[in-house]
Amino acid sequence: MLIPRRIKHRKQHHPGRSGASKGGNTIAFGDFGIQALEPAYVTNRQIESARIAMTRYIKRGGKVWINIYPDRPLTKKPAETRMGSGKGSPEWWVANVKPGRVMFELAGVSEPVAREAMRLAMHKLPMKCRFVRREGGDI
Amino acid sequence: MSETTLVATARSEFGKGAARRIRRAGNVPAVMYGHGTDPVHITLPGHDTMMALKHANALLAIDLDGTVQLALAKDIQRDPVRPVIEHVDLVIVRKGEKVQVEVPVVTEGEAVGGAVVTVESQTLLLEVEATSIPEHVVVSIEGVELGTQIHASDLTLPEGAVLVDDADTLVVNVAAPVAEDLGGEEAPADEAEAPADES
Repeated sequence: MLIPRRIKHRKQHHPGRSGASKGGNTIAFGDFGIQALEPAYVTNRQIESARIAMTRYIKRGGKVWINIYPDRPLTKKPAETRMGSGKGSPEWWVANVKPGRVMFELAGVSEPVAREAMRLAMHKLPMKCRFVRREGGDI
Repeated sequence: MSETTLVATARSEFGKGAARRIRRAGNVPAVMYGHGTDPVHITLPGHDTMMALKHANALLAIDLDGTVQLALAKDIQRDPVRPVIEHVDLVIVRKGEKVQVEVPVVTEGEAVGGAVVTVESQTLLLEVEATSIPEHVVVSIEGVELGTQIHASDLTLPEGAVLVDDADTLVVNVAAPVAEDLGGEEAPADEAEAPADES
């Protein structure tokens, strides 16, 4: 599972979720991709789950790229705790994904295989996504 | 590649308000410059521009008040989600002029069974004549063995094209499939969830 090795601050503010993705909106490495259509916090478990769904379906062959990294900690206070007494403890690691971001890429497989593998992966992600493919040097 | 003619109109009002009005009308604001001329702000027809720019390095003939100028799209601003072009930067070119363009790489044929073919460089920087820009550079991988690496120097470039990129640039890598971690043996949750060290 993806997790930062070293961090500067253990507890951070919630990342902003407004606006569209500023970069990483096109396919950079592979031939096919999953593009986010809504903003969401994607946890490291969801990223790993989506990766496994894809690689299990394509079996041998093909290459997967993960273009997002869960570098933001989210905290949670224990259940039935009175308010106050400081910020809760880190609970999740998330990637702050905004609409337009190509999160996963795939190459080395045919389009029907890529579509099905990415459909399975999209079910593991917390936002609406779409399948995109490289066309004429662009998506 | 043949040129596509787009009828442009000059823009007199600028700023985001004017640009949004142009986009609402189904057009695309654009700017055209190059060869030491002052930038010209123009409006292009939205659908025709989108269709013309579906091809990489499309050569455009911009008809502005009866004067036709050849131009290449230098930068295209797209909406990150919707298939809409927001703005285009056009650079003026002349017939016979040499330009440097990023040409997409495409593979042809089938490598030996079970090989994973990865295009490591999706584009190559070539110097070509502005009026004869190749649509793509074809790399044949027919019957290529596992472990083969095709570099830019190994390619047969389209006629008249000169490679600008480093000749050692890795273009295509034909490798044996790597056994991916399928997550069969999950690490214990406590271990996987261990908080990162604070520096």
